[in-house]
Amino acid sequence: MNVIQTKSLTKTYNGKGGISDVTLSIGEGIVYGFLGPNGSGKSTFVRTLLGLLQPTSGEGYILGEPIGTIKSREQVGYLPELFRYPEWLTGKQLLQSHAELCKIPVRSRNKRIEEVIELVGMTGRENGKISGFSKGMSQRIGLACAILNDPKVVFLDEPTSALDPIGRKDVRDLMVYLRDQGKTVFLNSHLLYEVESVCDHVSIVHQGDMIVQGPWRELLMTETKVEVVTDLPIGTNLPAFVTQYQKVNEELTRTRWEIQLENESDIPKIIQYLSTNGTAIYEVKPIIPHLEDVFLYWVNQKKENAYVDNQ
Amino acid sequence: MWTISKLTFKEMISKRIFIITIVMTLIFLALYGTAIYFAGKDTPGGGANMIQGPELILMQQFVASQLLGVGLYFSSFIIALLAILSSVTSISGEISSHQIDTWLMRPISRAQFVMGKFVGLSLLMISYAVGLFFSITALHQGIGSEWMELDISLIQMLKAVSVFVIQPFVLISFGLLVSTRMTTLNAGIVSIVLYGAAFIGGFIEQFGSLAEKTTLVNIGIIMSLIFPVDSIYRKMTVLLFDTTDNPLSFAQGGMFTSISTPSNLMVWYALLYGVLIVLFTIYRFNKRDV
Repeated sequence: MNVIQTKSLTKTYNGKGGISDVTLSIGEGIVYGFLGPNGSGKSTFVRTLLGLLQPTSGEGYILGEPIGTIKSREQVGYLPELFRYPEWLTGKQLLQSHAELCKIPVRSRNKRIEEVIELVGMTGRENGKISGFSKGMSQRIGLACAILNDPKVVFLDEPTSALDPIGRKDVRDLMVYLRDQGKTVFLNSHLLYEVESVCDHVSIVHQGDMIVQGPWRELLMTETKVEVVTDLPIGTNLPAFVTQYQKVNEELTRTRWEIQLENESDIPKIIQYLSTNGTAIYEVKPIIPHLEDVFLYWVNQKKENAYVDNQ
Repeated sequence: MWTISKLTFKEMISKRIFIITIVMTLIFLALYGTAIYFAGKDTPGGGANMIQGPELILMQQFVASQLLGVGLYFSSFIIALLAILSSVTSISGEISSHQIDTWLMRPISRAQFVMGKFVGLSLLMISYAVGLFFSITALHQGIGSEWMELDISLIQMLKAVSVFVIQPFVLISFGLLVSTRMTTLNAGIVSIVLYGAAFIGGFIEQFGSLAEKTTLVNIGIIMSLIFPVDSIYRKMTVLLFDTTDNPLSFAQGGMFTSISTPSNLMVWYALLYGVLIVLFTIYRFNKRDV
């Protein structure tokens, strides 16, 4: 079942900015990364899905309900990027107010509030006034709000922006916990190293356009990189499947090369080619890309295409 | 809706401005009570230099009604300012801070949100207005001695207070409308300017009635139709002071009471105005981005 589905969903401000033509389908039980630099339209997209912004065109559904309807928000949690909560309330009072709005039954309300307070690591501090909370504590109480109604889908917009390394790890663990419980986490972030370990699927957005989407480890399968250590220079007349190569370093009788191939099946071929040409191979190591590499690759691709189009 | 109302009510009470207002109101009541006490005490009911007979009674009625009128007029002014300041910030402030996001993403409609704000603010302001109205009348009638006392029945008071509270009702509905369309500062400026215009319009109408200038009266009426606040205050004073069985009630007209008599239709118009403004606010707020 698609938890989130959009068809050419567009939100622009007087024809400018925002985000355009986003079509995606997100299933249940995954952490979905919606990645892009600041100002790329990530928050606009989430706020449109939540009915806070009116879409310019296109359609969107959350758990099968059209966005903007009350039903579409019944099983949803949200931590905004610019989290601000009434400062005159205590953390617990804030959660009680949200519990009322979510119509959590009175008899299970306090138990649930205690559960989420513990989950976000705020036990013992929940009775403090929000005005006295640090940014990190506010973000934690915001996280508690987001998961209070045990939602099927949670939107987290830059959830670690105010947290220290321990807090960031806690949030990553929380996302994994939610995923393991079958929840869908829609994660907006520009901190790629932060989300790499928890995200399975990603969309990459740049300047209001969605460039690519899919399981992020597969998004760089269009090219494969290997690191090879040889005794000799590998020469200049390499086979056509080698798209690029460069010397990384040279130490006495060993030379380290980074070779870019057309695809993964070319790895045995390059080993065979080098061996038949009398090159001794000491090490071959596929270079596993990081999410940042995937991101930069696709953003650069977009820039190149835009440049070609302009020409 | 009730959760939002409750939050709005509690938020207002928790604000420093509300505590300051309560303290200042108590100071105002103390000063007013002192003034009324000495006005009653130092003005003898008769004497060698005093005018005797019907003139004295007419003067007593005029001075007493003016002193009660000035107390109620100032009360109405405080209530108006508090109603404007609390309503213009209530939605625009939450939009600019994005605090509204976490409320509106919950399974509630925007209509429920606006109504929640409206009910919360109205309950608070109407309670405050009722409290202030009865405090002023009680001080005036209670400690002003015989010279200050006016012949006002409980029914008159109840009728007057029920019209008195229409003013915050109208101001809050208008304040919420501008709060959903503008920034807090702009919304505040628009509301205060309109309130000021209604205030001036009221005076022009009073002056027009006194000088029998129809054009001036009409200007006042038009202003009352645009922003029915001052006319509601005037209607309240008519209901409070004017009695069919009191032949001296005509002596109670003045700047802080009413020379002309706004019709009952004006009361219904003001109520309808408030309701329509709230409905229009919901309609506009439903369509906007937050």
